[in-house]
Amino acid sequence: MSKIMTVDVLSSIKGAQPSETVNKLFEVIKNANTSNNNSFNNNHNNAVSLDNLRDDIVVNSPSAEKQIIIENFPKEKDGYLVVSKVIEE
Amino acid sequence: MSSQIHKIHQQLVNKDITCTALVQEKLEELKQNTNNTVNALLDTLALDLAAKVDTKIANGETIGLLEGIPFGIKDVYMVQGTYTTASSNLLKNYKSAYTATAIQKLLDAGAIPLVKENCDSFGHGSSSENTIFGAVKNAINPDLVGGGSSGGSAVNVAKDYTIFSIGGDTGGSVRQPAGYNNVYGLKPTYGRISRFGLMAYASSTDCVGPIAKSIEDIRIVLNTMSGQDVKDQTTYASADISQDDIQTSDNIQTVGYFKNFIESEAIDAQVKSDFLAVIEKIKAKGIAVKALDFFKSDTLVSTYYTLAMAETASNLSRLDGTNYGNRIEGDTLKETYSVTRSDNFSEETKRRIIGGNQVLSQGFSDEIYLKGLNLRDQISENFENDFKEVDIIISPVTPSTPPKIGDSLKDPLAMYLSDAYTVGFSLGQLPTLTIPQGTATGLQLTAAKNNDELVLKFANFLKDII
Repeated sequence: MSKIMTVDVLSSIKGAQPSETVNKLFEVIKNANTSNNNSFNNNHNNAVSLDNLRDDIVVNSPSAEKQIIIENFPKEKDGYLVVSKVIEE
Repeated sequence: MSSQIHKIHQQLVNKDITCTALVQEKLEELKQNTNNTVNALLDTLALDLAAKVDTKIANGETIGLLEGIPFGIKDVYMVQGTYTTASSNLLKNYKSAYTATAIQKLLDAGAIPLVKENCDSFGHGSSSENTIFGAVKNAINPDLVGGGSSGGSAVNVAKDYTIFSIGGDTGGSVRQPAGYNNVYGLKPTYGRISRFGLMAYASSTDCVGPIAKSIEDIRIVLNTMSGQDVKDQTTYASADISQDDIQTSDNIQTVGYFKNFIESEAIDAQVKSDFLAVIEKIKAKGIAVKALDFFKSDTLVSTYYTLAMAETASNLSRLDGTNYGNRIEGDTLKETYSVTRSDNFSEETKRRIIGGNQVLSQGFSDEIYLKGLNLRDQISENFENDFKEVDIIISPVTPSTPPKIGDSLKDPLAMYLSDAYTVGFSLGQLPTLTIPQGTATGLQLTAAKNNDELVLKFANFLKDII
């Protein structure tokens, strides 16, 4: 895909422009000395062991939880969430 | 100060006070307070729970140590049926569908939630001014900021409106407001307490952290909330820290400090001289003190913000007004997303989301984001080497005293740089405690990963010598 995505599109924020303040922080990173090791080659011990993975089963939410989820719908009709019509571009 | 939890527990058991009267008094103080610490009071829930505690006591039943103890919750934690706004416009009417694991554990122990506390929106800030509920005012001087992002929580504890509060710390958000308001605030080792039900800011450094007026109260609350949780797979099992475990500090022989923090031009002269005076007092007790080399402050701050912005851009992408939140309808689905986010996010939140998407974009990720990850690895390695030589690292919490309300919003770069002393320990995922001693904004004590006990031990030792 060669289409260029600008930050306002990526962020879904109208008129978004990179901030000068934030760019100053990024400049520091660009100029910092880093080791030759690529981060991805380092041994990060953050992985969860297979024994500790949670069971791959569907757990139904209690009805009180479902009721609050429905209360939070921005737009609701007959208990269903109303969303904008998706238009193909 | 001695333990408030033990004191109130005894008063309840002795029937010197009733839980209902205690909760009513605290709710009234919170309602009247002019420091803008409250987003929502949980009065009905709190009074119902208090009545149950009183009934138990009247029936001669024994109560647990936390039973009936009133506490506050930063408004980024889910508590089923209560509003959880993250101090944002987007979620101002959002109700939690479930309860965060850490909070559930406190509720199971009988503690009573009083209030959802004001904070920087989504944790984005170091002053608790980036909020739709009005800037939090400092407990000591209301012209100054309360600190952030857990400002409301620290001020409530400092003012005795809550016995303890639960903040969230991603880059210093518990430790810095604790320092600004002269109370204790702990960022435990990453993974010691479950993050399930804490609204995600930067998932790789987000930590649940207690704020209280004594080391003992921090210990009690930490033990209650800790533990492995299947709903947060970064959690690990940890042993309880006993009261006896932290009474003696015989095994602390060497303390280190980062000399570039102290030699920095940005440090306030008084903070510097107070810090150096503490170092002399530690030496006088026969403990060896080592000056350590560390990364420059601007490298630490830039690494932290680069990674935190990338993570928050990803975490907050779900907030588009589709399933929940303050949706603003546009002509198309994409327009709805865009208008909802543009109109509802604060300037600071937008700045961080945009910065995050910038560094994650093709062409930028290699020279900024991946380099940031590489720097983080170097920082962690540096800590690992340091803790082969020293038991504890001590540092100021902030380079200077709290700014006036309004100043941080005008100068975001200055606000980011004010996090220079806290963000490194977050990147290292280390246990760090702010104590209200040593400098005007306290001291930070840090130990190696999973060694939260040593931090509390050293805090107890310093309590008596400073």
